[in-house]
Amino acid sequence: HFPRCPGSRDRRDVSVLYFARSAELAGLRCETLSVPREITSLQLWEEIVKVHPRLAVIRDQVVFAVRQEYVLLGDQVLVLQPGDEVAIIPPISGG
Amino acid sequence: MEESEDVPKDFIKLKSEKLSVDEVSELVVSPSCGAVSLFIGTTRNNFKGRKVIRLEYEAYSSMAETEIKKICRYVRQKWPSVKHIAVHHRLGLNFKKRKNGRKKPMSGGLIYSKVWNSNICVVPITEASVIIAVSSPHRVESLEAVTYCINTLKASVPIWKKEIYEDEYSWKENKECFWANSEK
Repeated sequence: HFPRCPGSRDRRDVSVLYFARSAELAGLRCETLSVPREITSLQLWEEIVKVHPRLAVIRDQVVFAVRQEYVLLGDQVLVLQPGDEVAIIPPISGG
Repeated sequence: MEESEDVPKDFIKLKSEKLSVDEVSELVVSPSCGAVSLFIGTTRNNFKGRKVIRLEYEAYSSMAETEIKKICRYVRQKWPSVKHIAVHHRLGLNFKKRKNGRKKPMSGGLIYSKVWNSNICVVPITEASVIIAVSSPHRVESLEAVTYCINTLKASVPIWKKEIYEDEYSWKENKECFWANSEK
């Protein structure tokens, strides 16, 4: 186990999944990111864009799926557990 | 067939192989049902004058199955006489890595993508992308349920389709998608 950085008690490691256009912009399909345990969905987006600035262009088109439930980018407060799946969901085209 | 074996079932499958209308219909056939209603989603070979060379699919598989299960639960609540429901969707991306990096035609429409170092599902034009079948004693319920299933699938199931043209590509967006930018 590696020593934790100061202030990391309030952060959690989540699995971020990228799909479709967001995977092309981020250049990858999944990664682990350390984010604040309690955070609004919009703040979570901003944390992710800090890591992958190219994602900014699709901000108005995406939603999240947190633990496989859709969450709009906005004021909704998320309480994240270690290992939670957070997926970036661009507009869907199933069927 | 024993009476006890004919309990209502949901058959949900996301697969990279070609879909079969026979297979999906046979899943929902039931001695107590006088109707099987079917929807087949196919793919067009052109979009706004551009020729579509092929389609590529991607899915958040675990959540897609969960969302389709939610659709089935709602169908059974709204149309209690519905017997069996089958939803088969063609999809693609999985994360198998190829060590030698060689392009290898796989069975079931998978080809190796150097870009992602994984297999993607390539679907030729006019092949079915989705088949939905519902059985019920009388036809009204299964017809309505199938309509509900495809409409809700297009609005809520995390699957993405990419159209590849001769010189570019485009990620499609369902108009049913409530968060999509409608100006596309």
